[in-house]
Amino acid sequence: MDTTADDMKLWLTAVAERQDRDAFARLYRHFAPRLASFLERSGLNGAEAEEVAQEALATVWRRASSYDPRQGAVSTWVFTIARNLRIDRARRAARASVGIRAIGHEEPQVAPSAEETSLAAERDARVRRAMATLSPEQATVLRLSFFSEKPHAEIARELCIPLGTVKSRTRLAMAKIRALLEQES
Amino acid sequence: MISHHPSDDSLAHYAAGNLGAGPRLVLATHLSGCPQCRARVRSFEAVGGALIDSCAPADLPADGLERVFRLIDAPEPIRPVAPVALHPELPEPLRRYPVGRWRFVHPGFRWRRVTLPEAPDANVIMLRVGAGQKVPQHTHTGTEYTQVLTGAFSDSFGRYRAGDCVEADEDVDHQPVVDPDGECICLAAVDGRLRLDSWIGRMLQPLIGI
Repeated sequence: MDTTADDMKLWLTAVAERQDRDAFARLYRHFAPRLASFLERSGLNGAEAEEVAQEALATVWRRASSYDPRQGAVSTWVFTIARNLRIDRARRAARASVGIRAIGHEEPQVAPSAEETSLAAERDARVRRAMATLSPEQATVLRLSFFSEKPHAEIARELCIPLGTVKSRTRLAMAKIRALLEQES
Repeated sequence: MISHHPSDDSLAHYAAGNLGAGPRLVLATHLSGCPQCRARVRSFEAVGGALIDSCAPADLPADGLERVFRLIDAPEPIRPVAPVALHPELPEPLRRYPVGRWRFVHPGFRWRRVTLPEAPDANVIMLRVGAGQKVPQHTHTGTEYTQVLTGAFSDSFGRYRAGDCVEADEDVDHQPVVDPDGECICLAAVDGRLRLDSWIGRMLQPLIGI
């Protein structure tokens, strides 16, 4: 059975409020295998992807109480955790190569305004509706363009389509998502 | 009122974590003052969340969950203490980074380097150009990101004020001129390594010996 966004919110709340290990196991079963495959597509090797997915889940446990449902879906929150771990990992590697201390990755600390929060509540649903309208080709190119480190030229080779087609499909997919977001907001 | 923003492409790469460290810092500086772009980035993060949900699950080791519980039960790794704000006068994302002293190029033109310890080959600089001064005509290699911190300048494409972010592709050929009523300070980064044939490279080459 498919896991719904509401299930995830319930499980995460159970983890935050009573350190519920069963609820956490459910979150693990949904996210860990998907995160690992997502991270592998983003350019990590299998072992690294597994390790970052585990670190991400451990971070989900530790920071469960900082998740604010008004800020968006659990998946979006988990995505940002995994992304930041991946950036930190790349920074540690760069630091190790020159022997200096890195500054941990942090997003700009700006408290969202009431307006930003109210927009956030609906954002995930709108983004998902917008993504559902993409053609399979647009969806593939969007995924490859923005969630892997591969340059457009490499994507073109992989899909056996001209570079210009990758660029125009990306642009179309972005424009479509943006148009739907703006139309509904 | 911010009227120039980074492209959707750049904001999506930022949200995905695939932007180079230098441009990332310039965009973070822009985002700290731009609610509109923050909302855009959140939308792209939501795309990321949706993509995770739609990923085919990978095969994980049977004891994966136990391993995560072991991580959880172990003492939490000591997190580095947030570095002190070195430059409280700068926008928040810049405050923790070492910034060099202003270096003189010619009257009305100074620059200083922002050092990113985690990305030693990133090239982020601050430019300080006097009232009414021209920046030498230039084209870019790679995308150049410029965030206006104070003052304003114009080129043939428009006028850029504090808070604006200018993103220029390599084929853009422009000659910015600073407003006559005050100096302009910008933060700039080029995507990828600094190339000697970029204008910043040509300008800095004799000065820093790269």
